[in-house]
Amino acid sequence: MAKISANKPSLMDKITKIFNNPQAKLISLRKKLQWVETEKQALPEIYESKKQRKLGAIKSGYDAKLSSAAFKACDKEEYATAAFNEKMQKYDVKAYMQHRAVNHALTKSIFAAIKKGEDYSAAVSKHDAAIQALKAKRARYEEKLLSEKAAFIKRNNTADDSEYVALKAKLQKEYDAIESSISEKYNVELEKKTAKLNAKIEKLNADIQAVKSTIPALKSLPENVLLSVKGLKMYFGGLKAVDDLTFDVKKGEIFGLIGPNGAGKTTVFNCITRFYNATGGDIYFENKAGEVVDMRDFKVHDVILQGISRTFQNVELVKEISVLENLLVACTREYQSNFWVHALGLPIVKKEEKLLKVKAMKILKFMGIENYASWLAMGLPYGILKKVEIARALMSNAKLIIMDEPAAGLNDSETAELTQTIRKIRDEFNVTILLVEHDMGLVMSVCDTVCAISFGKMLAIGTCEEIQKNKAVQEAYLGVEEDE
Amino acid sequence: MDKKLFNKYSFDNANKTPGFGKVVGEQVKKQLKNPVWHYILFGIGVLFLLTLCINKVLPYSWYGGFVITAAYSISSIGFCLLMGYSGMASLGTGGFIGIGCYSIYYVMTLSGLPFFLGILVAIVIAVVIGVIVGFISLRIESIYLVILTLGLSEILRNVYVKLQNAIVIGKVEIFGHTLKSTETMYVIIPVLVIVMIITYNIISSPTGRAMLAMKNSTAAAQAMGISLLKYRLMAFIICTVFAAVSGSMIILRNGSETASNGVGAYALITSLNVLAAVIIGGYKSIWGAIFGTFVMYGLSSTILQRIELFANHPELITIVSGVLVIVVVMFYPGGLAQLLAGLKIKIKGLFKKMKEAKYGKDIG
Repeated sequence: MAKISANKPSLMDKITKIFNNPQAKLISLRKKLQWVETEKQALPEIYESKKQRKLGAIKSGYDAKLSSAAFKACDKEEYATAAFNEKMQKYDVKAYMQHRAVNHALTKSIFAAIKKGEDYSAAVSKHDAAIQALKAKRARYEEKLLSEKAAFIKRNNTADDSEYVALKAKLQKEYDAIESSISEKYNVELEKKTAKLNAKIEKLNADIQAVKSTIPALKSLPENVLLSVKGLKMYFGGLKAVDDLTFDVKKGEIFGLIGPNGAGKTTVFNCITRFYNATGGDIYFENKAGEVVDMRDFKVHDVILQGISRTFQNVELVKEISVLENLLVACTREYQSNFWVHALGLPIVKKEEKLLKVKAMKILKFMGIENYASWLAMGLPYGILKKVEIARALMSNAKLIIMDEPAAGLNDSETAELTQTIRKIRDEFNVTILLVEHDMGLVMSVCDTVCAISFGKMLAIGTCEEIQKNKAVQEAYLGVEEDE
Repeated sequence: MDKKLFNKYSFDNANKTPGFGKVVGEQVKKQLKNPVWHYILFGIGVLFLLTLCINKVLPYSWYGGFVITAAYSISSIGFCLLMGYSGMASLGTGGFIGIGCYSIYYVMTLSGLPFFLGILVAIVIAVVIGVIVGFISLRIESIYLVILTLGLSEILRNVYVKLQNAIVIGKVEIFGHTLKSTETMYVIIPVLVIVMIITYNIISSPTGRAMLAMKNSTAAAQAMGISLLKYRLMAFIICTVFAAVSGSMIILRNGSETASNGVGAYALITSLNVLAAVIIGGYKSIWGAIFGTFVMYGLSSTILQRIELFANHPELITIVSGVLVIVVVMFYPGGLAQLLAGLKIKIKGLFKKMKEAKYGKDIG
């Protein structure tokens, strides 16, 4: 494992880097590649919904054609009874309000009479009369409808279904032909589009390889290691928040970082995600493209492009927009359209959003909160918001998800659910998870490897059992046992 | 028998299909849900109203009030985007408005070039100023940024005083047609509608969402890949460009402006008025910004001056708007837009109460 030289780049190097930066080229190429892949994934669903919409329109058109024949064919007695029932139902809904008004009047007059100490039998009898009147009215209406029904049946007493059967068979044949032709057409289109996208992906991959060959390979991590933190130091003035911390996170594992309050766990996270500029030490990460990068080369808003996404200790969602739109915020860097297209409101923006919404709905379904998709994030319960935040972290196809106290503020049953969710995320999305947590139950049940730190220094690293038995960790949490 | 085939049961034989009028009506209804059409209809309505003012069906004095409201509304909308969506405030609007005024003056009067070229020059200068302020906004936040933009605005005003204290533009020609003072509305109102549409497009697009994310939490926004530099620059550039366009509309309407004594369109009082307008109207609503601007700029000349008390004591008008700001901030932090939304809910509640008084409570 060769270490890279720590020479400071000269001013000239810096200037040439601004104008001819292969890293920037790579980033833009990868952005395109990711977009094409998103497009490819969402394609079948989009074509399916297109097809269904078209077929639905055709079907309703056929139904309209069929309706007069169907009317001729139907049993008139049955039809008239259904019509009668529907009309009576409508009448009853209306009559319900009248009954309510009468009852309310009775209640009011009874209360008034009791207050005055009078007899309220007059009001009751008046109420009875009103109810009788309503009932009589209903009976009159029923009679009228019955006579109408009888007249209708007398007028159309024939039921001739020969025309209906013939027409239906003919239309069904037509419909089947159209359906098969449409689905074939869409399948062909889908295949064409997929092939086109595949060609695009190949071309982009070739381009990326071409640019990559101009950059000398930095270094390689040991096999199976995704993130390697070496001698990380973070000093705030004289305060050593993190001091010489070294650990490796393997691919596909759930790595827990524990420690007492103020141990510097969140600081480590912030150094990895570039919120803080580390005082010293190296952070190497194998990014989405499979090459090892030094995280210190990137700005904080470029970290997500390398494949690291994070959640926050306190939920940091946008409150004014819906849950679905919150997920779209995580894809801000994936849009191909620029500001001018957005300002002019061209239809391409809606198309892009549609693609991403398909992806977002898939993730919401996975988290079991698809019912909340159109809700504003403002009034939702805390447990749901925590899930939304995890869903948002999943939106960017990250390789490493960093969770800052995912169980903070959750109750016991929610924490148990979270344990399942974290495992499911790891298995389904093929990601590695790095989490900071105070809830020892969660850490011990979900983590493969645990690293305990105290005052910025590592105490122990190992499996859960090893950490539980470790003397230094026990002392850090429970204090030193003094012999009397 | 497939019962779905009958649209609705009836004792008349015919299964009615929807008529032509209904189909067209549904299409129109669907289109009208798009806010872009609201803005265009609003523009047409205002033009119609102003035509009535010119023909003296409505009082002629309303014309000036409405047109100047429209001109200032453009900068209010830009400010709305800056404050409501990006979470930054500025008191530099007055100075930015001056950019528009002076660009028009120099391009038209001194160079004899057409009016629209003046707007283009104003936009270019505004972009440069916006970039400067945007870079500063990365380092400085909240009240300090406000003070800083205030200083910048005063610098700009003093530059204007040194350049040319009072400016007067001559007659404006558009496509060979000399614009009369009653015809300026045909330029100002369409520009306002275009600005409204652009703003709506931005706030409903990924860019607008990114700005909102930045306002809510800079840390979360950065973790989601949103570059603070890019979006803060963008917000300030939009704000300054809209203010400059607004300035060119103001000079088009007024014909002259003065920079001295802090009473002109680019004095501190304008910045404060625009801020107050956005707060009164609601800092997240385009309609709110226009309504707030009307309260600050149009209300006195259209309504209050017809009341004898205010006509005799014009200083009372300022007091009224001051009281309005206090009341709105205390009771309706979302502005008049929130008040209207609340009113809608209250009216619904009133109907429910009326129903309950008549029928009693619904017990299922």
